[in-house]
Amino acid sequence: MFDLLRLMLKEEYRTHIGYSSARVFFSLPVYVFLIAFFLGASLPIMQSSIRVNEMLLFANAGVFVYGMSVGAFGFLGKTYLERRQGRANFLVAMPFLLPFTFRRAFASMLARDVIFYVVLIILPGLGGVLLSTLFVHYKLASIFLAFIAVLLSFLLGISFSFLVSVLYVRSKYLFMAIVGVFISMLFGYGLFGLYKLDAVLPSLAFQDSVPPIANDMPGAILFLLESVALVLAMSSLAVLSVTQEPLGHTEKVRERFPAYHSAFRFARSYQTLLAKEFTDMVRSGALSKMLLAYVAPLVFLSFTTWYVNHGLAIPVGFNVVFYAAMVGFFGIMVYSWLTNLDAIDYYETLPVSVPKLIRAKLLSFFLLTTGISTGFVLMIAFANNETRLLWIALPVLYIMSAYMVIATAYLAGLSPNSMLFNPSIMTRFSVVSLLPDLCITVLSFSIDRQPLFAALGIGLVCFALLATTLLFARGLERKWSRAGFA
Amino acid sequence: MSAIVVRDLCKEYGTKVALDNVTFEVQEGSFFGCFGPNGAGKSTLLRILTGQIQQTSGEAKVLDLDCRTQGLEVKKVIGIVPEVESPPSYLTASEFLYFSGKVRGLADLDKRIERWLEFFDLQEARGTLCRDLSKGMRQKVMLASAFIHEPRILFLDEPFINLDPIYQRKLREYLLQLRAEGRTIFLNSHILEIAQRLCQEVIILDKGMVKARENMDSLKAKGEDLEALFMRLVGGTDVRSP
Repeated sequence: MFDLLRLMLKEEYRTHIGYSSARVFFSLPVYVFLIAFFLGASLPIMQSSIRVNEMLLFANAGVFVYGMSVGAFGFLGKTYLERRQGRANFLVAMPFLLPFTFRRAFASMLARDVIFYVVLIILPGLGGVLLSTLFVHYKLASIFLAFIAVLLSFLLGISFSFLVSVLYVRSKYLFMAIVGVFISMLFGYGLFGLYKLDAVLPSLAFQDSVPPIANDMPGAILFLLESVALVLAMSSLAVLSVTQEPLGHTEKVRERFPAYHSAFRFARSYQTLLAKEFTDMVRSGALSKMLLAYVAPLVFLSFTTWYVNHGLAIPVGFNVVFYAAMVGFFGIMVYSWLTNLDAIDYYETLPVSVPKLIRAKLLSFFLLTTGISTGFVLMIAFANNETRLLWIALPVLYIMSAYMVIATAYLAGLSPNSMLFNPSIMTRFSVVSLLPDLCITVLSFSIDRQPLFAALGIGLVCFALLATTLLFARGLERKWSRAGFA
Repeated sequence: MSAIVVRDLCKEYGTKVALDNVTFEVQEGSFFGCFGPNGAGKSTLLRILTGQIQQTSGEAKVLDLDCRTQGLEVKKVIGIVPEVESPPSYLTASEFLYFSGKVRGLADLDKRIERWLEFFDLQEARGTLCRDLSKGMRQKVMLASAFIHEPRILFLDEPFINLDPIYQRKLREYLLQLRAEGRTIFLNSHILEIAQRLCQEVIILDKGMVKARENMDSLKAKGEDLEALFMRLVGGTDVRSP
């Protein structure tokens, strides 16, 4: 077990240094450490506009969603297995050849990723916050308790995601049932206000029971045990649910590609590549997963805003313009999925360039998400009685989404996942993404008090973003024309 | 006319030298073989010539197109069978041929697809995704995709490796027919017996350098065969069990 885990950690490390270099890879925890230090040191300033319990709520909910996004081993493991005969070959495919089970391989993958993300991201985050105590006054006990809560939130997210992805491979109906229960629980919290988010996320309940929020130790121990029990139960059930024949049987399919090709005639020189992208999406099952990955955070976000505004009656000032800007961030996940549909080595044999494939994936992104994101912004506007802001929210949505995804494509090409582990790209991405988002957030807060000033400011930011988007789009050819597919 | 021109070609991967001042020319219409032990630089050479990667220095031209700056133009006029058979997972064989044909802007595609499905006996695999095909079937799909536009030059990296004897023979005969039609074929292979029967000219690479360039007729006249030449130049005479 431990030998396999050690080898998998080595494999993961080598995969990631393949994206950049060992030096760049090891600067990631340093980057996280510095960000955490900066946030920790500036917390007292932020406390004037957002309370500590709200910050901890966002931290735990955010880390839970992050854990969910990295825990889909069921999907990923299956993808690796399907690619076992291509250039990429992974240890998780070795049970085909060596005497150990897929269950052991998948359990090791879970342990590997928990170690990987905790060591690279969560522990350096703790270190940064600890360092900030030299400059601001925090109780060390509160920091450690917050660390335990965040760690539990991450473990709950990763194990839940692992479980549902494994169940998806076994039975689509079971997967739908579990996801349905989870979404219903979110509805119960966000839409009907039947209970607090604590009831859905016991790690948050633990956080809410300990200092600096409260001092209910018996309650905290109960929620701590509940969280640990849930993590163990979901992980064990997931490992036990891994099938010994994870590839399933060969199925016959209907020849759809020519029909898709005709349907995308409007895309002209991108017709063939778009037809291929959509065929891949449908047949790999990624279409529903992508839509779920895009819609779930939007639903979560809209319930949170509705609950904060109406349930808790806290006037935090987040309005539909703010959410329109936020949607752009979720688009990056969809682009990331689009670049991971299949191995693309075979493009080396065809007269297709990397920039052209990137543009085809960007087109697919816009075709897939524009309707959903528009619907989301309309829904938020109607739910919060902010339809008067739609004239500015919709342009912000389209410009911000285009800007974020084209900036991602420019910076990371066909490997956006590398962005997460390459601090050099991540720093550039943070600068190009957080700065405009911060401007729009600040301006959106004042849109009701100073509408003309805010609208002019947002207009200027949008104009600058549009110009930068065009520069990024044009730069794709120059930056990626010499890149290869393999 | 030279179909392929390679002059002082060097390729380095960090500190590792994969190709070291490689120079040769291939005449149009010839069947050219490139041989060497594992890691000799054969696949790197093929990938540079087909515009997949760029050289560190030196010149590589295919049909007078610069492989470094005109890689996409090169790919339009050639057919490539890569070392690893990796057609797209979620297309069927006929869909991949349709895709490949459309990317190349081919007309009368249905006829071409039928011809190659029949040639490689892939009709029964209709409706089966490439990911579910056997290695040999996937190799046939990649071969069909390389042949579908009837290119002037073919670059083949171990094309026989996953094929059964029947299709090895069928492919051999087809390649000889192409040679007779005046097309150029560049073959990377370890199977020296097949290469001996097909190639007119060969180079032997070892550690990134050209160890020999031979015309097969001259080699025969000297009373030597390809295997003997290979063993003499790159060692490996001791074939006893370890």
